[in-house]
Amino acid sequence: MKNSRTTLRIGIAAVIILGTIGWLAYTGYGSSKSYYVTIPELSHMGQKAFHEQLRVEGFVKPGSIVEDGTHVTFVLSQFESHSPKAATSRLLKVSYSGSEPPPDTFKDNAQALAEGTYGRDGVFHATELQAKCASKYAPTQPLHPGGATATTPAPAPKPAA
Amino acid sequence: MKKVSISLYAAVTVALLIWGYYQAIFVAPNDAQQGEIFRIIYCHVPSASVAFTFFFINLVGCIGFLASRHDYPDRAQKFDAWALAGAEVGVVFCSVVLTTGPLWGRRAWGIWWTWDARLTTTLVLWLIYVSYLLLRRFAAGPQMQTLAAVLGIFGALDVPIVYMSNRWWRTQHPAPVFFSSAPGAGMAASMLRPFLWNMLAWFAWGVLILILRFHVERHRQQIAAREAEAALAEP
Repeated sequence: MKNSRTTLRIGIAAVIILGTIGWLAYTGYGSSKSYYVTIPELSHMGQKAFHEQLRVEGFVKPGSIVEDGTHVTFVLSQFESHSPKAATSRLLKVSYSGSEPPPDTFKDNAQALAEGTYGRDGVFHATELQAKCASKYAPTQPLHPGGATATTPAPAPKPAA
Repeated sequence: MKKVSISLYAAVTVALLIWGYYQAIFVAPNDAQQGEIFRIIYCHVPSASVAFTFFFINLVGCIGFLASRHDYPDRAQKFDAWALAGAEVGVVFCSVVLTTGPLWGRRAWGIWWTWDARLTTTLVLWLIYVSYLLLRRFAAGPQMQTLAAVLGIFGALDVPIVYMSNRWWRTQHPAPVFFSSAPGAGMAASMLRPFLWNMLAWFAWGVLILILRFHVERHRQQIAAREAEAALAEP
């Protein structure tokens, strides 16, 4: 009798703990979807886009970075510039002014994350800037015609589905 | 004989660590995107792998202890010693991960920390095993090992969540470099060779500490058992 009651108690505790972890994971997943958006997701948000603090993800359009100390303007692009879909890429102009200059990895074609608000002027006003690192590691190839930042001559990356 | 083989193994491990360091700092080329800072990967990722593996050893120890504690008390103590060693050395390696990560992130991402799924679940993992070790230290009596074993099993549930976190969710932490389905993911051969040397070296080092910790715990158990016997024998 005592044994089955202990089992029951452990069972209930396990359900509660697993339920909490599952609930946290589920709500975490939901919030990461609503606040961490891609450029197409931002354009589909409608009026809501202007009211919320957002984090927008994209690739830095080559040649678009204009740096002036801690004030940086650039264009975020939906796809990398050498992607076959680059021509159809949605663009977002970002104006960043924060307390610190962007990290070293923030350069042409880098995946970046801007946090701030979307203005009615169509410009995203960012107060935080994060670079995302690709999970691709390759040495610099200075002889590549693409220039100093060229990486492996990998097959043109397919955008993730 | 046992001492000789452990000393020999320790010597090989130290040689491997030196070789791995040389490979990481002097042999591997700079990364095209991150430059020098990417070399932290040679410590960060192996440490995470070692931590995961040792938390798994802890899980095996916990299950083994719970399964054998009534019928084979001797074997149960051995399982418990493995569980403790796995958790303790695992926490050390997990601390290395949580230290090298922010150092790397500061340069590569521009931030020390963010509450993304990978980072948060890793911190939770560390907290669970720290509480496991605290429980072992502060709870007294024969119930302690049983309680710790149950906590250890719950802690192990977080390991696959940490591992899958950057596959399941959009994270600041990069998607997996290895065993990845993401396009373009991977590592050039000239960087991969130093990586595999470092994997080997950090694993060898971790296993060395794990074995030593296991023996220390067995020793402690034997002394405690002898003291208990002596106390019973007293008139």
